[in-house]
Amino acid sequence: MRITIQTKGGEFEVDCEAGDNMLYAGLKAGVTLPYECGTGTCGTCRCRVMEGDWELTWADAPGLAYVKQEKSETLMCQARMKGDCIIRVPGEITKEDSGPDHFCGRLENLQRLTHDVASFSVPLDRPMDFMAGQFVVLEAPGLDGGRAYSMTNYGTGVSRLDFVVKRKPGGGVSDWLFAGSPVGIELGVFGPLGRATFDPAEDKNVVCIAGGSGIAGMMAILDHGVASGHFADHTAHVFFGVRTEKDIFFAEEFRRSVEKFPDNVNVTIALSDAQTTDGLAEKYPGLNFATGFVHAVASERMSGNYDNMVGYVAGPPPMVDGALRMLVLEARLPGTDIRYDKFS
Amino acid sequence: MSDWKKVCAAADVPENALRKFDIDGKELAVANYGDGFRVFPPYCPHMLEPLAVSGMLDGGILTCGKHLWQWDLKSGEMKGLSEKDILLYDCKVEGGDILADLSQELSYDWEEEDELDDDDFFN
Repeated sequence: MRITIQTKGGEFEVDCEAGDNMLYAGLKAGVTLPYECGTGTCGTCRCRVMEGDWELTWADAPGLAYVKQEKSETLMCQARMKGDCIIRVPGEITKEDSGPDHFCGRLENLQRLTHDVASFSVPLDRPMDFMAGQFVVLEAPGLDGGRAYSMTNYGTGVSRLDFVVKRKPGGGVSDWLFAGSPVGIELGVFGPLGRATFDPAEDKNVVCIAGGSGIAGMMAILDHGVASGHFADHTAHVFFGVRTEKDIFFAEEFRRSVEKFPDNVNVTIALSDAQTTDGLAEKYPGLNFATGFVHAVASERMSGNYDNMVGYVAGPPPMVDGALRMLVLEARLPGTDIRYDKFS
Repeated sequence: MSDWKKVCAAADVPENALRKFDIDGKELAVANYGDGFRVFPPYCPHMLEPLAVSGMLDGGILTCGKHLWQWDLKSGEMKGLSEKDILLYDCKVEGGDILADLSQELSYDWEEEDELDDDDFFN
């Protein structure tokens, strides 16, 4: 089966397998197709199908609001090919030597971190190279469609992906993880994906603003900055928003990073629904605490100090929007220095 | 032939604010960038994001909240991640009112009916 991708910059022909969606088929071949969530919500991977037989995998995907279905426009991530297709895709698109791919692995090491947050690992069938801050789409048997999860680890030739998941009512994979006995079940993995990446070679200070399980990618960024010695001469400000003390996790991991570079690594836990107490600072040495929404706390604590900085944002959509506003309007970071994932 | 119409009073749009108006069946966004005003279709040229709702304006720079595409409203030029120009109506302030020349047909390609026949599709 073959997909022909027509773009402003030229045409790309890509071989693909039956059942592939258009986005993954193109990305796998190295075509730099536009996407953000890869799971049907954001609408960024729109295209127009000029010829060919295909079907929607999720007919109610929220991202379809961004396309004119009556004009054969669709979301590449939700368009499963049933034969050769010709599509047109807007934007600046090129072809690289390689791209993300399909992997698989059995879920292991499931651990509860709080009442509604768990971590787990997926050892892969073969190693993956990915940057701190990237994500994959996980597919579980019996669950329709995939869900995007950021890895808490990073590296070259990585044989095991580490994740953290917050239970959301009606969140297919998270319900399945929390309610069932998922250990040992084989998951499909597509990745790595995402441009909210950290590269020490950029020579920048870092501010991370995360809510809930949005902290996942920030843990990889923090680890990479510590392990590479980047934070010996660059600052890291991490703001982690949770509701109350019982929602705090990764405190020990934060403490270890702060201990390595105490002058430059700063972690603040923002409690949205509880007052801070003296007991917290004693219980969690090295961490700072504040009351308020995480982007408001970040705004106050950073107090205009955004020199040579790149900002990372992840979490629930309203929190992400608040943090983006803050980084655009207060920090005045250029769009190229603001990196975020808006999964919902 | 130009068709100057009042869009709103200048005082209706404070500095760094974005407001949406409907004039003669045309949807218009008005931005006050400090040194002046701009009038434009109220949607991002990328993916139709409503700029008067989730757009951000500061220091003359308009930022779309969806993918952070940016434009310098003083010069009208693209900035940063932006891949498309923003279309601007000619506008002026007279007697405390903002007027725009609505004879201009400003539309982005996602509004064009004949784009299928256009070699420069989605441009």
